[in-house]
Formats: sequence, structure tokens, C-alpha cells
Amino acid sequence: MSVANAPGRLRDWLVAGSPLLLALALGVFPLLTLFVESIGPGLGSENYAEVLSPLYRGALLYSIGVGVGVTAICLAVAYPITYWIAHRCPDRYRLVALVSVTLPLWLNYVVLNYAWVWILARGGVVNRILVGTGLLDSSLDLLYNNISMTIGFVYIYLPYVVLTMYVSMERFDYQLIEAARDLGASDIRVFLDVVLPRTLPGAAAATLIVYARIAGAFATPEILGSPGNVMIARLVVQAFRQYTNYGFAAALSFVFLLLVLGTLGLGALSPRVRQELRQW
Amino acid sequence: MVSRVTRLAERGAGRLPGIVVALALVFLYTPVLVIGYLSLSPAGQPTIPIDGFSLRWYTAVLTDTRFIRALLTSLGIGVVTAVVGTALGLAGAYVIVRSQLSQIARRTIAVIIALPLFVPTVVVAFGIGRASALVGLGYGYLPVVLGHLFWVLPFTTFLIAARYAELDDRLSAAARDLGADDRTVFRTITVPLLWPALTASVLFAFALSFNEFLITFFLAGSSVTTVPLEIFGKVRIGATAFLNAASVLVIVVSAVAAGVASTLRRPV
Repeated sequence: MSVANAPGRLRDWLVAGSPLLLALALGVFPLLTLFVESIGPGLGSENYAEVLSPLYRGALLYSIGVGVGVTAICLAVAYPITYWIAHRCPDRYRLVALVSVTLPLWLNYVVLNYAWVWILARGGVVNRILVGTGLLDSSLDLLYNNISMTIGFVYIYLPYVVLTMYVSMERFDYQLIEAARDLGASDIRVFLDVVLPRTLPGAAAATLIVYARIAGAFATPEILGSPGNVMIARLVVQAFRQYTNYGFAAALSFVFLLLVLGTLGLGALSPRVRQELRQW
Repeated sequence: MVSRVTRLAERGAGRLPGIVVALALVFLYTPVLVIGYLSLSPAGQPTIPIDGFSLRWYTAVLTDTRFIRALLTSLGIGVVTAVVGTALGLAGAYVIVRSQLSQIARRTIAVIIALPLFVPTVVVAFGIGRASALVGLGYGYLPVVLGHLFWVLPFTTFLIAARYAELDDRLSAAARDLGADDRTVFRTITVPLLWPALTASVLFAFALSFNEFLITFFLAGSSVTTVPLEIFGKVRIGATAFLNAASVLVIVVSAVAAGVASTLRRPV
């Protein structure tokens, strides 16, 4: 296989053909379709003008904010978890621990989000315990707001982040921590100067996988979010369902896509991340 | 070993990581246990704690024609997606890891295959829905299956590619020296060595497809219904005992696939 030859290359292109064709037909072509629809028949920009009106600007910023916030929470929680599994867990139980933490990956997120309704509702598990034990006089409003939505998001995406970050964490040599301690570094310095730079590729990969899907999520905000806080997906679904105004929904999708890729790009532009990613 | 662990405990990050792991496990498994517990309530609107145990809602779910039809649809689409998605993933993995194409071509192919990972699903789903209407495919089984294939392709490709990259070149070289042609090498060396990854890929793709919601939501139209769509529709009407039992059954199907897969290979 080491020597390239023409028939071999042709065959490789043929093999590449089927997955590539699928990805182009369902990834690239639909995006082009949306772009053409968004500028409409008259090559106008009124759809985009409407998207950028204050009403929709709020939804765009809220979606991006939720994406950034939830991703940050997932990363913060995944650091100690992956550290423990990779460096503290006895070898024998490591696989079991990893499988247990990532099992929800396999489960249905509609179902999993629905389960939280029973936990957070006024007559739900948490309130029954708090009121039943006399800690509280009356139930807390934990459902259909940003709290419940954040919990639902973290619940679904934490396993993805853990799984992606684990690879980096496993390669990390904990003796570096010892060395840093011997040289008198504090906990925070050890994390910022030793652990973070070496696990950044894993964190970046995890962000790449979950951030766009959180910002563009539909089911979780519908099931657990507040009716007042509108995320982008709901607007797109509404436009699609009502069979009207496809041009506007397409423009909205496109602006949102550019925002998501833009924010990801901002992260990738910071010199430190670039330096780390180059090692991949 | 023991001394090293204690030293680590002192010098690593203290007790915090262990505590976070314990809390995470509670966080991850409580909802599943709660739903399982509530599904055993005889009441249509269970209260906590439940008043007695009964399996009547499981019977109700398994005799509900709409739910059964959705379940059969989900299983069918899942099986097709799993098998075809893994075959395409194998092709993709071969191209990315082993082919003679230039580095740039292979990288570009990898990025295109990974598209559904970093493009918001709602944008992809809406785009596929519009594109499908544009080329006259409309809505229904075929667009849903195509959408699912597109969605699982990055997962199957990179899962198989990880294993492909570890294969020992010398085995196929030896087979060639003994006179095997490419096809024979692929059939007798590559596929058997990749078998665990291929099986894991089939199971993972099945679980992804079985649980996929948003792409299906845009492409199903009015004739096709899957389990996640069915459950989502009912969630909006309200939380009920029927829904709890249905949720437990869905979790069991996925957990069985996950259990079998985790015995085959490490999840990373």
C-alpha cells in the first residue's frame, strides 16, 4: 500500500464515493438550498433585515448564550470526573466507571428530559423531599425555567463531553502535577499552567461536538424550558410547520449557523488553543 | 500501587474529583430510577409516593396500536440505518485512514463527513426538509432513513477509523506476499480484525437512530411516526403513567444495545 498507483487511487475514490455522496447530498446541498431560499427570488435582503430586528436578535443571543453557558458547565464538571476515572480509579473498575458515566449517551433524550419533569415539578421528587422533611414550607418553582432547562441540557450532553475529554485526560501524565507541586505551585496554578494546556485539545473537541447542538436544541427547551424564553429552534420549527415564510426561516437558520461557527472560530483563534490544536 | 494512590490523593486534587464522580452518578441515574418507580403506579396520574404496584400501564403500552406501530417503525429504521450506516462508515474509515488519496483530500472528506457534528441539528434538519421537498422526495420513510444515515455517519466512521488506525500493516502485507489479492486481504484479514468495532458501530448507530428526534421531526410528515416523536407528542399533553411505562420500555431497548456494545470494546 506504500506505493501510490493510479488504479489504486481510482479505486479509493470509488470507495470514498458513497459516504461522500451521502454527506454532500444531505449536508452541503441542503445548506445551499437554505441559502438560495433565504435570499429569495428577488435576490433581496429583506429576510435578513427581519432576522436582525430586535425581536429575533434576542432569540439569537439567548440561544448562543445558552450554548456557551451549558458547554462551560459541562466542561467544568467533566474535568474532575475524567481526572478521577483516568488517574484515581483502580484499573479494574476504570471501564465500568467510564461505561456508567456514559450510558445515558445511548438513551433517548426526549425520554430523559421528560423524566426530569417528575423530579422538578411542584409535586415532584425534590419538592416532596424538601417539604416532607420540613426544610421548606412550600414547594419551589423548579420547572419550566432556566434552571430546569440547564439541568436537562447538562444531563444529556455531559456524557458526550466526558467521553471526548477522557482521551486527553488519559494521556495526561500526573507526575507533572507532582513536579509542579514540588516547585511550589498552588492548586490554581497547577490547574491553569499544567492540567489545562495539556487537556485543551480534548476540551476543544468536546466543545465542537456539543456547543452547536445545545444552541440549536429544540426538544429540551420545549420540555423543560420556559415558554417565554424562545430559542432559535422553536422559531425555525414554527416557520416550517406553518408552511409559510420559508425564506425568513432559512435566513434565520443561516444567521444562526454563521453565529455558531463564528463563536467556535473565536475560540479557535485564541493563540493558546491554536497552539494546542496543532499538536493533534 | 497503594502508596502511589495515597500520594496522589494528597498531591493530586484532594477529594474533590471523587465526590464529583459520586454526585454525577446520582445525577445521571436518579431520573431513570424515578421513571421506573413511577411506571409501576396503578394510577393514571401517579403521585409520589405511589399507591401500590401494578404492571397495567406496561400492558396498556404494549397493546396500544399507535405505540406499537411507532415502535416497529423505529426498530425497522434503526436496523436499516445501523447496517447501511456501518457499511458507509467502513468505507469512510478506509478512505480516511488507509487510502492513497492526498492528505488534503482525506482531510476534506473527514470534515464533510463530520458536518452534522458541528452544524446545529435544527439547521441541518430544516435544510434537508426543504431540499427533500425541492427534489420531489417529500416526506416519509425514505427521507427519514437518509437523514438518519447522514446523522450516524460521523459516529460510525470515526469509531471504525480509530480501530482501523491500530491495525498492523504487516498482516495484510504478509497475506499479499502469500498471493492474496486486495479483495481476499480485505475479506480474510481486515474485516475479521475490525469485527468488534463493526459490531459496536452497528449497535451504536442503531441506538442513535432509535433515539433520533429532530431530523425525524422535520422529515416524517404525517404518515410516519417513531417512538421519540410519539413520546414528544404525549409529553406536551402532560406527564402520565402511560408515558412513564413507554419511557421505561424505550430505555430498556437502548440499554440492551449499549450493554452488548460495551462488552465488545472500550467506549473510547
